[in-house]
Amino acid sequence: MSKPSDLVQGTLDLLLLKILTLEPLNGFAISLRLKQVSGDVLQVSDGSLYPALHKLEQEGWIKAEWRPSENNRRAKFYSLTRMGRHHLGREADNWNRLSAAISHVIKLEQA
Amino acid sequence: MRFERWIYSIPLRLRSLFQRDAVEHELDDELQFHLEQKTQHYLDGGLTPEEARRCALRDIDGLELRKEECRDARRVSRFEDLIQDLRFSIRTLRKAPGFTAAAVLTLALGIGANAAIFSVVNAVLLRGLPYPNSEQLFTLQSNQSLPDLEDIQRQTNSFAAIGGITKPALDFIGQGEPVQIYGGLCNAELFDALGFTPIVGRAFSRAEDSYGGPALVVLTHGFWMRYFGGDAAILGKSIRLSGNSYTVIGVLPREFWLPGRPVDVLASLRVVDPSAAKERGVHFLHTFFRLKPSTSIAQASAEMGIVDQWLALHYPEDNTARDFTDIHRRLLSLQDAIFGDVRPELLVLFAAVGLVLLIACVNFASLQLARCATRQREIAIRAALGAPSGRLIRQMLTESVLLSLLGGVAGLVLAALGVRLLMTLTPADLPRIANTSIDTAVLGFTFAVSLLTGIVFGLVPALSATLFGVSAKLKEDTRTTAGGASGHRLRKFLVVSEIALALVLLISAGLMIRSFVLLHRIDPGFRTDNLLTMRLQLPEARYREQTKQRQFHRELLDGLNSIPGVQAALVSELPMTGDYLTHNFVIEGRPRLPAGSEPEVQTRTVAGDYFRLMGIPLLAGRDFGPQDRTGGQHVALVNRAFVAQYFPGQDAVGARVDWARSDPPDWMTIVGVVGDIKHFGPSEPEEPAVYDLYSQTAQKWKRWMYPTIRGAAAPGALLAQVKERLWAIDNQLPVTQVFTMNEIVASSLDHQRFNLTLLGIFAAVALALAVVGIYGVMSYAITQRTNEIGIRVALGAQHSNILWLILGQGLRLALVGSSLGIVVSFALTRYMSHLLFGISPRDPQTFVAIPFVLFTVALLACYIPARRAMRVDPIVALRYE
Repeated sequence: MSKPSDLVQGTLDLLLLKILTLEPLNGFAISLRLKQVSGDVLQVSDGSLYPALHKLEQEGWIKAEWRPSENNRRAKFYSLTRMGRHHLGREADNWNRLSAAISHVIKLEQA
Repeated sequence: MRFERWIYSIPLRLRSLFQRDAVEHELDDELQFHLEQKTQHYLDGGLTPEEARRCALRDIDGLELRKEECRDARRVSRFEDLIQDLRFSIRTLRKAPGFTAAAVLTLALGIGANAAIFSVVNAVLLRGLPYPNSEQLFTLQSNQSLPDLEDIQRQTNSFAAIGGITKPALDFIGQGEPVQIYGGLCNAELFDALGFTPIVGRAFSRAEDSYGGPALVVLTHGFWMRYFGGDAAILGKSIRLSGNSYTVIGVLPREFWLPGRPVDVLASLRVVDPSAAKERGVHFLHTFFRLKPSTSIAQASAEMGIVDQWLALHYPEDNTARDFTDIHRRLLSLQDAIFGDVRPELLVLFAAVGLVLLIACVNFASLQLARCATRQREIAIRAALGAPSGRLIRQMLTESVLLSLLGGVAGLVLAALGVRLLMTLTPADLPRIANTSIDTAVLGFTFAVSLLTGIVFGLVPALSATLFGVSAKLKEDTRTTAGGASGHRLRKFLVVSEIALALVLLISAGLMIRSFVLLHRIDPGFRTDNLLTMRLQLPEARYREQTKQRQFHRELLDGLNSIPGVQAALVSELPMTGDYLTHNFVIEGRPRLPAGSEPEVQTRTVAGDYFRLMGIPLLAGRDFGPQDRTGGQHVALVNRAFVAQYFPGQDAVGARVDWARSDPPDWMTIVGVVGDIKHFGPSEPEEPAVYDLYSQTAQKWKRWMYPTIRGAAAPGALLAQVKERLWAIDNQLPVTQVFTMNEIVASSLDHQRFNLTLLGIFAAVALALAVVGIYGVMSYAITQRTNEIGIRVALGAQHSNILWLILGQGLRLALVGSSLGIVVSFALTRYMSHLLFGISPRDPQTFVAIPFVLFTVALLACYIPARRAMRVDPIVALRYE
């Protein structure tokens, strides 16, 4: 699967922003963290990660800087901006409302 | 929030745009780092190095594709595309210098001519008058007297200010030679009406503008600079004008401008010439009415109507009388009064230059079409490789717009040169033309025209190349027989329209040339060769009495006639200078007409042997002679037009005439009839005229004269001798308006010459462009048909067959184009009838001769490529392509 088509539109953005709230990370570290937090449920290929990151950077939600990684190689580290934090807050609220509503509907069906 | 986003995104986008290499590099590094880490990750998991590397790559799922996606995420797409297109266009245009030069030059001609004419239209028609709120300014069709103007002022409430001005000649002794300058004798309200205040000092006040008021003068900027070097210390000093002293109180700004003749100084009419100012019958003031902002023109006109009736009632002989009452005090917008006449003329020129541009554009489109044809394979390949056709069209449009903008820049250079040329050609009577310059409006116009040209005339070839041509092109065999059919049809259409447009211009120019020739051939009614003329004005201070004036006339004529080989005479109104004077008159024995409604005639006063000198024939009776002296029987000559109007079929000689209401009566006996002359210029008919004598006239205010001097010597040498004799009599008299009669006749045609020259240039450019267009299309067609021609020759076609094959094709185009052009011209030339003289706008000779010329030239343009086709070697031709 080349694109996370099974992810709800915008979900990848949300996940990436969430992951970056803790600390600045490079792309590889993000991919590891992504796998870690979502288990094998959400399959995000490494390939779709970078275009998504570049898009978030263009939006001004994350910013990038080059600095040494743990093994002293220069790597591009992404961190959340103030705007990104706001955006994440809003999107997370939306997500919560939406998922609550959907699970409510599904429970009704089952009942 | 938005703003904060820009803080991040703008630098990033700029970086993507202008530091593409660095951004690209970072992208590589970033992904490389990822790959290395991932490989390490798999190595740690126990895979072999090759397997680890392969798995890492597999996870990325298409490295290059991902890179492209990242680039897409960063792309400032539209703008970046544009830059890319521009780069590509510059590269391709550089590779085709011939095409580029031809296209840019073609457009430069069209755009440049348009920008030049637009700058004139802009200066004359668009920029308007240099007065604040000039739309509130009105004038009256006829001149007014000061008492009438005062009554209008008193009895109306619609106007903020009513100014009046007359512009007599004044003598001024500046440095050395006495010079004649023009004074503006006006009322104090003029400054308010026009909305000008002096930049130095002040204008005279309404209190000072009164009979017996102080002698004050306000200088215009030009006069101030010319004679006082712009010295502000001039304020308070006095200058001498026509023998009287005036104190300088102010200087007007450079922008001060009056319609018609410019003036040098302004002074109060009431102070300078109280007797003329008080005269209700002296209608010599040009008027400027400034409407109150709250008043409508309808209200003001209604008020004027009432005043007009009041004036007619109270002063019938000066008012009713000018039997055009209903129009003579009609308010006319100043804009219309000044520009009304030139507007249609300039619009004809503008239309003509627009046609030139259209032809240039057609050529441009045709050039691009030819180029598209040669690039069709390239375009097809790019389309096949997945370039969307919108993207291809945009790229070709970019190229076209780039060319047209380059053409615009080159056109501006041409326009700047053209404007300079125009300034040397312009007739003095085109108001405000001196203000012509390449300003922001002209720049904006040129830019807009260039852009539009590039888009509109680039779109057609671009569409035809991408939409119609592409898919077929790749399949098409390379050995085409007649080129892309649709493209070629379009090119034929372009050539036909080009020929038609050029023909319209050529016919217009042809009509102008015919009228100009006719005007030149017109017999002015007098001999113009070897005739030197000038104007003299005797200052009132020293020549108030007529005895002094007459003594001067006698001494001057004696002095001039004593120069060997020279004959001289005097006349008060020289033909074709625009000067004229009319009087109401009465004929003895005819029924009396109400005062003021007597007919008007042209009045000219002469001294010396004027008619023999000018070669004006005597048709009946006798010429003036030595027996007609001061104190003798008063005599007059009349012209043929006078006899035709007032003595049709009768003998005018022996009848007596007098100026209306002259007191005491001054009957003049008509002793002879002379021929008509073209007094008002070659295209205007002569009016009835009465000639009288300086030695007998009672009009002592007629202190001006034109000496007319016939001598074989060069004008310069003759002038020196004339000045010597003149200044021996009076060394303070300025000599002005020195011209040979031939110069005066020539300048009376200035206006026609201006229009003719411009239309001629446009027509020539149009012809050249059209010829290049035909030549281009025919050459291209032949290149496309080389193969076919080779086969024909191989099959035994004769040279002449080939020649006619090609010529025939060109002929058909020329024929269709010419016919179309004739039809269009037939419909359009009537709009230029006001520019023509002596011929109809559908003059058959022009409509036959000009298409014939164009047809011949078009044929020639076909013949050259046709000859090349004739020489085609079948072997070479068959191998061609």
